[in-house]
Amino acid sequence: MGGPSGAYETIPKGGAPVNNPKSGGARRRILALLAIGTAGAALLSACSSSSNTSTSTTAGSGGTTADNAAYLAADLKAPGGSLNASGSTFVQPFFNAAFYKYTSLNQALQVNYQGVGSGAGITAFEGGTVAFAASDVPMNATELAKVPASSGAVLQIPDTLGGVSMAYNLPGVSQRLRLDGPTLAGIFDGSITMWNAPQITALNPRVTLPAHAITPEVRADSSGTTYIFSDYLKTANPTTWTLGASKTIAWPPTAVQTPKNSGVAASIQSSPYSIGYVELSYAIQNKMSYAAVKNASGAYVVPTSTTVAADASQKPAVSATDFSIVDQGGATSYPIAGYSWAILLQKQANNTTGAQVVKVLDWTTHDGGGQELAPSLHYVPLPTAVQSRNRTQLLTVTGPGGKVLLTK
Amino acid sequence: MTSVGTALPGPRGRGRRFSLPDNGYRAGLYAVALLVAALAVWFLVAIVIQAVPAFSTLGFSWIVSKTWNPAHGQFGILPFILGTLETTAIAVVLAVPIGLGTAVALAFLVPARIRPALSTTVELLAAVPSVVYGLWGLIVLAPVFHNTVEPFLTTAFGWTGLFGGPSRGVGLLLAGVILFVMIVPTMVAVSRDVIAVVPTEQVEGAVALGATRWQVLRKVVLPGARTGILGAFTLATGRALGETVAVAMVIGNSPYIAHSLKAPAATVPSLIVNNFGESTGTELSVLIGAGLVLLVIGVLVNSAARWLVWSTGTRSAGLELGR
Amino acid sequence: MTVVLEPPADPTLERRAAIQAAAASSLRRRKVSSSVALGVCWLFLAIAVVPLVAVVYYVLAKGLPAWSTDFFTQPTKPEGVAAGGVWNAIVGTMVITAIAVAVTVPVGLLCGLYLAESDSGVAATLRFTADVMTGIPSITVGIFGYIAIVRNFGYSGYAGAFAIGFIMLPVITRAGETAFRGVPHSLNEAAMALGARKATVARRIVLPTALPGVITGVLLAVARGLGETAPLLLTIFGNQFLQWSPSKPMEALPILIYNDSSQPYADQVQLAWGAALLLMVVVLVLSIGSRLLAAHLQKERR
Repeated sequence: MGGPSGAYETIPKGGAPVNNPKSGGARRRILALLAIGTAGAALLSACSSSSNTSTSTTAGSGGTTADNAAYLAADLKAPGGSLNASGSTFVQPFFNAAFYKYTSLNQALQVNYQGVGSGAGITAFEGGTVAFAASDVPMNATELAKVPASSGAVLQIPDTLGGVSMAYNLPGVSQRLRLDGPTLAGIFDGSITMWNAPQITALNPRVTLPAHAITPEVRADSSGTTYIFSDYLKTANPTTWTLGASKTIAWPPTAVQTPKNSGVAASIQSSPYSIGYVELSYAIQNKMSYAAVKNASGAYVVPTSTTVAADASQKPAVSATDFSIVDQGGATSYPIAGYSWAILLQKQANNTTGAQVVKVLDWTTHDGGGQELAPSLHYVPLPTAVQSRNRTQLLTVTGPGGKVLLTK
Repeated sequence: MTSVGTALPGPRGRGRRFSLPDNGYRAGLYAVALLVAALAVWFLVAIVIQAVPAFSTLGFSWIVSKTWNPAHGQFGILPFILGTLETTAIAVVLAVPIGLGTAVALAFLVPARIRPALSTTVELLAAVPSVVYGLWGLIVLAPVFHNTVEPFLTTAFGWTGLFGGPSRGVGLLLAGVILFVMIVPTMVAVSRDVIAVVPTEQVEGAVALGATRWQVLRKVVLPGARTGILGAFTLATGRALGETVAVAMVIGNSPYIAHSLKAPAATVPSLIVNNFGESTGTELSVLIGAGLVLLVIGVLVNSAARWLVWSTGTRSAGLELGR
Repeated sequence: MTVVLEPPADPTLERRAAIQAAAASSLRRRKVSSSVALGVCWLFLAIAVVPLVAVVYYVLAKGLPAWSTDFFTQPTKPEGVAAGGVWNAIVGTMVITAIAVAVTVPVGLLCGLYLAESDSGVAATLRFTADVMTGIPSITVGIFGYIAIVRNFGYSGYAGAFAIGFIMLPVITRAGETAFRGVPHSLNEAAMALGARKATVARRIVLPTALPGVITGVLLAVARGLGETAPLLLTIFGNQFLQWSPSKPMEALPILIYNDSSQPYADQVQLAWGAALLLMVVVLVLSIGSRLLAAHLQKERR
């Protein structure tokens, strides 16, 4: 249904997003829609597919809570069996919790998700050895070209929103460090080698920094977290960061490389005088120290799910071709943040597997389903607009006979 | 006068019995043997076919090129070959004297009562999985290296130029030491076996001439066991060259040629295990080609080891029986 | 006036005294160097034993607290959910090893029997091939498993069993050949003189007599197969859920240790230690058991 976007879909610039749809004037609108929706649901439930013609990227049209509940209930009735998926370790704490919850509700279906790094997930998807993949950066044109033409189009939908923290291990320093783009670039391209270098002490005048070498801790494998971090470094330092934005970076020889977010986090914990980039969930859950990073508006922001959400709210319209949300301005925006993307085929080769994939992903990416688990793990629940766009896209997934696989 | 089972026909042809069960038996064994040979051939063919694109696209220079930057199409594996050789060298340089000394101690010095228990303990540790050594190295030994061992070595031996850079714990040195711990049981077990079979007449003769225990060892026992010790050395080297997970866990995975023992480095197996899942196309071919290079080196070393150990075994057994 | 007459200098006595002096100093010197050298050997023994003892100690100290009922009966759980275990990894390891053993023991022993009975060029080539196969780095075996099985049939326990079996096969073949060759020819000839066919000789004489060596070889091959990590990393994918079917991805103890060793979450690391202790105990039991069994069967022969 058309009409003006509701209050819960307009996100005021420069302030905290309103992600609670039940606040303020949105409440009356929801009640009205519920009334219509309840009547319509009875009629719609007889149909096998809902019509959804929205093509705009910000205003989703299928989002009543009753409608959502119907989809979620159907998601939990997916056919039994097991699914294999692999990819990003950025999203792994969230996926592990969400899929564990899903299996406890639908004991017939197991989702076996292995965190192997975004790059390996994409390669597995290209090779057809997994039902869906997860990556913190969508597949680019070169990677999409490696999917056999006979497999059809590839769908990429955001499944969570998280931040990349700059976690460090500095014995004797209890205050939180402040770092900015140029300093981080210097540390990670090897030009700043000591903790008490002038660039770092200038930002932290009240901290006694040790005269000790810095050990940068980075990823050994092809990583979407590396992409988000290097994307930030490139955006914040367009002329001085020369190593590019990519899943694999030619880090300096002094850097210690470890596979997976968990590996980097463990390596930082056990290496004094080290600093590295890890997804926020790992840093908070393991009580690591992490820095406040300067954003494009000049504010030093501590990563939390609120500040990550603030950053994402500066750029609500994301797609698989325009996905970067790093270093957006705003008084409370944490600059190193990104969506993580679930990757699946639009034309599934098997009705059962296809139904399992779309239903699991639909449940995981919506309020009332997997997204309820995001806040406790320090991820941000997907904005409502993103959620309804996800559903729109998932409704285009068909089986071999052309049958739409996502049903209510 | 009944025979076992059906009556066997008399000899035919060149005097062989052509009774079907015997021929069927031999044919069956032959078939199984061919099956195993076919498996080995399949292995070689599969690996070579996957590695060929690397050679056809990039030639041979990538094997000795030192820049590894796949995003820019550079696939030099020299840092990893050097890393493999360096970690193996550290392990072997430590394991040969210490392993030999331990073998000598176990064979001659340790009181007879605890000798079997101690020897068995050391040998059994050769069977402990390498991932357990890697776990121990990463969690227990790395902090010790970071806090104690590396600073000490830097102050004591920094003048050699081998200990530049900050102490990180993980790196080339830790990987070499973990490998040393893993191969020492092999070194000790095989050395002890060949030392123990040196003929007692020769030992007694030397003692009768007034030799001290060390002189007996140096002039009689060790030379007599020389080939076997060489076999032990090559066996241990072969194991160190091919070790994957224990090294990958503690070496720091830095794709550059290390200029210090304390620097992070990488080996060919650690390169493969970290990058295999995400590689496609040329990079995948290069990884498999690197595996092929490693395979050739490892197979040569291991074959030499087997031949040396086997040939010593027969020779010293022959000596003992007085043939 | 007393005159002290010195005996005339006797060259023989002088020479004897010089020799004795030289011998005494040489003996002192050699005794010192011998003590030093043997002291170094003792030192090296200590240096070798200390880390090995430390490994066992730490695995015991850190792994034993992880052992609980849940450890052995629960599959792995996500971070933050308590009461996780390694049962899925234990099942995976058992199933994969069982399949590998079921296939490689008969094939390996028959191949070893062939090698023991034949000295042809074919046999020599095969013997060399088996030796070469034992020296192949395990990561390359993993690559082969991926190319041969995973590319065509997906990640599965069968792919892992294929890779582990490839590693175990040459070990069993060579151990079998050594054991079968150790059977005295007189026994074979006596049986054949009684009219037994070769197959009967093999079944009734060779195999029972060689059994100690065969069992030792098989147990050692199994111990080696249990500890291999790299081949499994490339072939079985891992599984957080309990999975008995080898046609699906599975979890295994070495994979779990490798993955959980570099985790920031303390309870995951503890799982890794517990699994390491379990693996170490099983491998040591197999190794010790094979020696005891072989010794026991040898004694019975006498």
